[in-house]
Amino acid sequence: MEIGQLFLNALVLGASYALVALGFVLVLNATAAVNFAHGDLVMAGGMLAVALSAVLPLDTGVPGLLVLPLVLLAMAGAGLLFSLVAYFPLRRGPPVSVFISTIAVGIMLQHGIKALMGPAEQVAPPLIAGPRLEFAGLVASRQALATLVVAALLIGGTALLLARTQFGRRLRASAQDPEMARAIGVRVPVMIAASFALGTALAGAAGLLFANSYFVSPGSGGNLMIKAYIAVTIGGWGSAPGALAGALMIAFFEVGVAAWLSSPVAEAALYGALLLTLVLRPQGLFGEPAGRRV
Amino acid sequence: MAARAHPSEHRIQLMRRLAWICAAAALAAYAFAVADSYVLRVLTLAGTYAILVMGYQFVFGQLGALSLAQGAFFGIGAYTAALLGLKLGTPYILNVAAAVIVVVALAALIAVPVRRLQSHYFALATLGIAEVVLIGVRNWEALTGGGDGYAQVPGMALFGLVIPRGWGEFATVWSAAGLLAVLAWRLQRGLPARVHALAREDPIAAAAAGIDTGRLRFNAFLWSAAYGAIAGALAIPVVRVISPEVAEFKVMVACLAMTVVGGRTVIAGAFVGALLLYPMPEWFRFLEDHYLIAYGGVLLAAVLLAPDGIAGLAARVLPAPRSPGPPPAPVTDREADASPARPRGGAALEVRGVAKRFGGLTALEGVSLRVEAGEIVGLIGPNGAGKTTLANIISGQYAADAGQVSLGGRTLTGLPAFRIARAGVARTFQTPALAAGLSALDNVATVCAGVGRTDGGPAARLRRAHGVAAAALARAGAAAYDMETVGALPHALRRRVELARALALGPRFIVLDEPAAGLTADDITDLAATLRDLAEAGIGFLVIDHDMDFLLPLAGRLACLHEGRLIASGSADAVRADPAVIEAYLGPDFAASGGTHR
Repeated sequence: MEIGQLFLNALVLGASYALVALGFVLVLNATAAVNFAHGDLVMAGGMLAVALSAVLPLDTGVPGLLVLPLVLLAMAGAGLLFSLVAYFPLRRGPPVSVFISTIAVGIMLQHGIKALMGPAEQVAPPLIAGPRLEFAGLVASRQALATLVVAALLIGGTALLLARTQFGRRLRASAQDPEMARAIGVRVPVMIAASFALGTALAGAAGLLFANSYFVSPGSGGNLMIKAYIAVTIGGWGSAPGALAGALMIAFFEVGVAAWLSSPVAEAALYGALLLTLVLRPQGLFGEPAGRRV
Repeated sequence: MAARAHPSEHRIQLMRRLAWICAAAALAAYAFAVADSYVLRVLTLAGTYAILVMGYQFVFGQLGALSLAQGAFFGIGAYTAALLGLKLGTPYILNVAAAVIVVVALAALIAVPVRRLQSHYFALATLGIAEVVLIGVRNWEALTGGGDGYAQVPGMALFGLVIPRGWGEFATVWSAAGLLAVLAWRLQRGLPARVHALAREDPIAAAAAGIDTGRLRFNAFLWSAAYGAIAGALAIPVVRVISPEVAEFKVMVACLAMTVVGGRTVIAGAFVGALLLYPMPEWFRFLEDHYLIAYGGVLLAAVLLAPDGIAGLAARVLPAPRSPGPPPAPVTDREADASPARPRGGAALEVRGVAKRFGGLTALEGVSLRVEAGEIVGLIGPNGAGKTTLANIISGQYAADAGQVSLGGRTLTGLPAFRIARAGVARTFQTPALAAGLSALDNVATVCAGVGRTDGGPAARLRRAHGVAAAALARAGAAAYDMETVGALPHALRRRVELARALALGPRFIVLDEPAAGLTADDITDLAATLRDLAEAGIGFLVIDHDMDFLLPLAGRLACLHEGRLIASGSADAVRADPAVIEAYLGPDFAASGGTHR
């Protein structure tokens, strides 16, 4: 395949990974805990889009774009519920408890959805319907381009929300220093719940994008969670821009190695690269070392 | 020491043994009564999972390190044993041994780079390894048979004797589980259990107690691998089919759920968890293959409602003290006094030209300082001056960017924290770093895992460690609280326990980070008297504090840090009157012009 085509494919995959990783890192920063169910929430968003498209009249040219706001809203609610079940009861406990509780909820989501919708792969409606586009020798589905645009808008919107609004400043303050944030009157638990809502809404959007371009099955969550986890690790623990860069790097690595060798080799090589990174640069490729203060 | 209303250690041991025997008999009786080949098979496989979980308890239960490779160890163990039997026809017992060797060797290879990673990276690294294993067995078709795997794996045999299906396999697996339980118990009981608890609850405190947590993790990881391999190699001749299913993440999830539900740190919990959860797919047949929903539900419920598992719930009901009774020997016992003694005098603790930067921020620059044996030096400075950073560099928590720390001419810079603690430089923390779930005595006793004699059996070592700890608690003025759980002690006493832990190392120097903070005036007077006595006995102190009423009469010399530089040092009165010091604390308006450096 031509380099330009590979580049475009990797970019589209990277945009979807970036959306997954962004939601992951938002929750990570708010709670200092890994959300092991994040991938399953992405999958749930995709499945929700599939289910909605089956019941809604979507004979327009933009079926996915109509479903998107519903998925965002419903998944934000799911994120709140998720935090109430899997995070808040364990907030004062050791971080490893949250890790385990999210593993538990992830399994329940995965197998619950499998029970409801079957184990098969499903396809969500495309964001914009219509034939493929061709220019300069590159073939791009409208979906691919729409994925890039939607992902960029959602990531840009989140960045603006965090950087420019009072809400965003509060959210970041309570993530960086919960005690200080509380001292200046920020309601930290509300901010944590909001982070779950925002992170899970982004996960849902990512699921919608994935579920058209790459299909979605109840078992696809774990893999996506690992990708986000790796993106955050190589991008520098807790850094949102780092996570986005990490997600893009993973996508280019995967698409590149898969084209050169094969998909299983690409996946194995990704884990190999991850282990090397952890050993040689545990602070991430761009980050500063962050240890516990004593 | 007052007698306490605890059943004697001996009686508890007897009761526990009785409980084990009863449980084993009940299991055998149940299997015999039902005598259904299907039930036997389920119970046999539950036994292999009990072994898997016991292995996981080494690394996750004892040390709290969330490894996600335990399922992969099971898988590789199963593949190794099955493929050898299928392709080479080697005797079963050799296949099991080979499985252990392969898996442990692999674990050792992995453990070297990952053992020191922080918890979330350790989890990811082990998860990555598990994924690589799964990709490998799925795609290396020539070796593993790919996605379909192989059927007709040979059954168990022992020295040419074919072990019959059903009862034979049941007896073999459960005997192995029993033996491995005894081995795990022997490895974990006594001092190691306390050391593991400290390493799990507070790795930094463990390092301060001279404990090599990296090595503990390395060993635990290898033990978990060996148990995982045995479990896989025992399960596969019962199942008779080898396919990637044995290496899938759901094995890991089942193992994690059994460990959390049964109890993370108690060996009996492995059996409870495996026997309760392994048959669950049978109990939830109406859910068909969606029983994993129930697995997730049980795991979630356990984490939320019974974080110590069923074994933890049982321990609350049954009389099982977390630590055995007080040491039988009085604290003046010779053994206790023989706590690691060192030749006194001579050697000084010396800091030369130390610098530390965090990114663009310079925390310390060109700091030099000397503490003589038996001397108390006070280190003062406004908040953010770099005092704790200096303490962290002396004790090895941080690496210095430049300069050197030495003890009597021996360079300490570059040594890990636990080695510096063993070398004779102890420290305490701003917020006391202790294992909240352990008694004061046990907290201090952990020190004996790293320093002092290592001969004798587990019971003798624990007794000796308790002797050393009791003596140290007495010197720190906390002898009366030895059996109290540290989490229940007031702040001032926790500081005493931390001081006792430092003393138990037999140190030449102790760095105290704000020892008077949060103490009442009476407590402070007591503490000052204790420190003076200890200095009298030859221990040198570097005391970081803000409380001048405490520090001035106590310290022979003061040193003042400001913005990472040492701006004054000398006699207490001279430093207090130094214009640079006044300026640092009160701002330029209050000070005479021109800073001095002496």
